[in-house]
Amino acid sequence: MKKIRNKYVFTMIMLICLLFCGIGLTNIYVNHERENEKKEYVVVTSFYPMYVAAMNVIGDSKDVTLKNLSEPQTGCLHDYQLTPQDMRLLSGADVFIVNGGGIESFLDDVAKQYDTLAIINTSEKIAMLEDNAHVWMNVSDYEIQVQTIAEKLGELMPTEAKQFTENANAYLTKLDVLEQEINELKLVTEGQNIVIFHEAYDYVADELGMQVSIVMDLDEERQVSAGEVAEVMQVIESDKVSVVLAEELYGKDMGDTVEKETDAKVIYLDTLVRGDGAMDSYLHGMEQNIAKLKEAFGYEENH
Amino acid sequence: MLAFFTDWWQYGFMRNAFWAVLIITPLFGILGTMIVNRKMAFFSDALGHSALTGIAIGVVLGVTDTNLSMIIFAIIFALLLNKISSKSTASTDTIISVFSSCSVAIGLAILSKGGNFSKYSSLLVGDILSITKKEIVYLIIIFAITLIFWTIAFNKLNAISINRTLAKSRHIPVSLLENLFAVLIAVIVMLSIKWVGILIINALLILPAASSRNLAVNMREYHFFAILFSVFSGVLGLIISYFTNVATGPMIIIIASLIYFLTFAYQKITHGN
Repeated sequence: MKKIRNKYVFTMIMLICLLFCGIGLTNIYVNHERENEKKEYVVVTSFYPMYVAAMNVIGDSKDVTLKNLSEPQTGCLHDYQLTPQDMRLLSGADVFIVNGGGIESFLDDVAKQYDTLAIINTSEKIAMLEDNAHVWMNVSDYEIQVQTIAEKLGELMPTEAKQFTENANAYLTKLDVLEQEINELKLVTEGQNIVIFHEAYDYVADELGMQVSIVMDLDEERQVSAGEVAEVMQVIESDKVSVVLAEELYGKDMGDTVEKETDAKVIYLDTLVRGDGAMDSYLHGMEQNIAKLKEAFGYEENH
Repeated sequence: MLAFFTDWWQYGFMRNAFWAVLIITPLFGILGTMIVNRKMAFFSDALGHSALTGIAIGVVLGVTDTNLSMIIFAIIFALLLNKISSKSTASTDTIISVFSSCSVAIGLAILSKGGNFSKYSSLLVGDILSITKKEIVYLIIIFAITLIFWTIAFNKLNAISINRTLAKSRHIPVSLLENLFAVLIAVIVMLSIKWVGILIINALLILPAASSRNLAVNMREYHFFAILFSVFSGVLGLIISYFTNVATGPMIIIIASLIYFLTFAYQKITHGN
């Protein structure tokens, strides 16, 4: 009889201990998270390029808190799942800035759940390529996105509108420099064939006036079949492709294979979806991309 | 501290998840006892893996509600598995392994076509936001069915698990009951797999019952502890996962595992071996 009673006492103590450990650890964690309390107006962006754009538009406005939904390391959203923390973030937000075009696959659910949340679709004025919403990879499209953010945020916060426009214009001036460089490079690249290993580079190719011979979309959890690899090799040969654009993280293996098997040169561009949260990370990343492209196409030698 | 129990209640998705946990964890506890007794842990694991194929078939057929294709496939899978393992001479775990690998391969092959597997990767670890009102209605129905089945068939199932031949000689419909039990597991696993996750759903079936076995001396206690541990880890895991931004399924399993180790240690200490 005594043994039986011990057992229930043990179970009770065990469960209570676990409960308090759980509460304790969670409290420590939550307090740690609460470092920056929210200001008057909360703006949430869906992923990194939108975050950087919004950051440059908002500037150091004291009444606005800017937060990003996914971690800066998440990369392309593709089929990102909202976490409970994301839902909490959105429930406290006033504006949600998205890229649009289907990249935020959860957008419909969000709109349904939080019907008072203002959603800014930054790509609404942009003519997208088919089934491809990586518009920020095209500098002139990205400029439109920045303008759209400034415009719509200004409508939502009239008192800050002037500031937003000024900030946006300052940022656009910097972007224009990149745009200029791309237009110069375009003189060399126009009409050439290219192979890309990430959909996002469709926009790079488009802006540089190049024809994409084949797209092989390599990203998270992509399994490549042997037949596809052979097809890419064939296209590189038959279309006389001299440059392949790939992403370092997921395209390296495939890129090495291409360089070994063909004469094409593989260059690894940044898709600009990861970063350290610096205001100039888009400018910086795009600048490097352009430098790599220039080198690959022998731009410096010709000019 | 009160905030720990109230803060999450304001969100619809958390309320849905809470009800789902409250309905499904007792079921897992109850069924787990029999799964552990009958040494069917591997069977239920294979069943969980078959969800991939079920979804893949649903996608191929263009069904909007993949729940249905998953359940139908899992039922066929479970019955087939039962039938073949009772006929064939090869040992049961080999057969289950063959079936499980085969169905995972088919599922992966179809779902990864076109490089789109990332769309389904949430199935592996579970996504709590996939619980909707509809799922909860399904769960309530299956809850009722399980309770009815259990009151009618538990003693007979128990007899079968102790000695199959003896049970047969007592005119117990052995294969019918075994099949019904397999179908029941299949349906419950499929209804909860989307938010628990394929990789860990089996742990939720096995761990509470296994912990309970460390303490219980009779069937009544066995059930009581299994349900208690199951519900406890489910509710606490859900709430902690909400605050710490961790996937819910794994959090529940971590707590259930802790309970297992603690009860295991208790049993070793009190029984001295």
